[in-house]
Amino acid sequence: MGKGSGLKRAAPSRSAECIVRLLLPPVYREQVLGDLRERYESGFQYFFDALSAIPCVLSSRIRRTSDPAVLLMEALVLYLSFFATAWYAAPASFFYDDNGPVRLALPTAVALLAFVLVDAYADPAKRWPLKPVLQAALAMGFAFVSQASLFKDPELAVPFQVMLVGSAMSLLLISAIRMLFTGSSGRPMA
Amino acid sequence: MAKVRKPSAAESAGQFEQLVLAAILSLRDNAYGVTIHAKVEELSRPKTVALGAVYVTLDRMEDKGFVSSWLSDPTDERGGRAKRCYRLEALGERALEESAATAKRFLESIQAALGKFGRKRRWGREAV
Repeated sequence: MGKGSGLKRAAPSRSAECIVRLLLPPVYREQVLGDLRERYESGFQYFFDALSAIPCVLSSRIRRTSDPAVLLMEALVLYLSFFATAWYAAPASFFYDDNGPVRLALPTAVALLAFVLVDAYADPAKRWPLKPVLQAALAMGFAFVSQASLFKDPELAVPFQVMLVGSAMSLLLISAIRMLFTGSSGRPMA
Repeated sequence: MAKVRKPSAAESAGQFEQLVLAAILSLRDNAYGVTIHAKVEELSRPKTVALGAVYVTLDRMEDKGFVSSWLSDPTDERGGRAKRCYRLEALGERALEESAATAKRFLESIQAALGKFGRKRRWGREAV
């Protein structure tokens, strides 16, 4: 809605636009950045507009890209991979005395959350055959980082060997699931 | 003309969706994020509406088949970015018509009830 076509309009700073661009899922960048620019009046108003728009479009994108059936499969594969590895590699006390089953749920939950976000932020215009493997590797990377952040509280952490072998198993199996269940839209769907 | 199927209960428009549909209908070819948000705020006055709520509703209605969208040409005032324009589809028009008919029946029943109890108040006028 132009205010005086000959006048130079006020515009948000490049750094503010860069941050908003980074936080928006790629499919919304063009429309939302344009709308925010058009509505721009002050930095404060731009900040609140962005703050209102980003969580909403992200949740909408997650609703569109996440398939509950695929997520459930991925959760089972992740948890069972860590569980099976711990069964063979960890001492029995890990399960009976150290809350092992609960501790294994932590990297599973982090990796699952990472999968949801990776799908939401994936650009449907960019497709290549190894994308599911890269997405799975990224999610497992997040799980490792979450474990690294627990170094101060080792009672909640999963043993490194279990993390390593469980992540490798998950990576293989989830890459296969994602390759099998990727629909024509490029997102995993059952 | 192709026959338009009746929207199912799951596809019926919620209150906020009705406002967005009405905004798109009245804006015609100029319906995109900023203008739709402005029109919805005008319709829902004195309530304020978050820009993000409009995006979520537009996405949901696109999934329901009520509206369709396309990217327009980029413009300078938007920093060289395109607008996502929206158009009402036949299913959306039907849902809006049904909502309007329901609202009319609702209004009539309230007016009838108020009249029955001898109230002097009429819609759009001050109470006597």
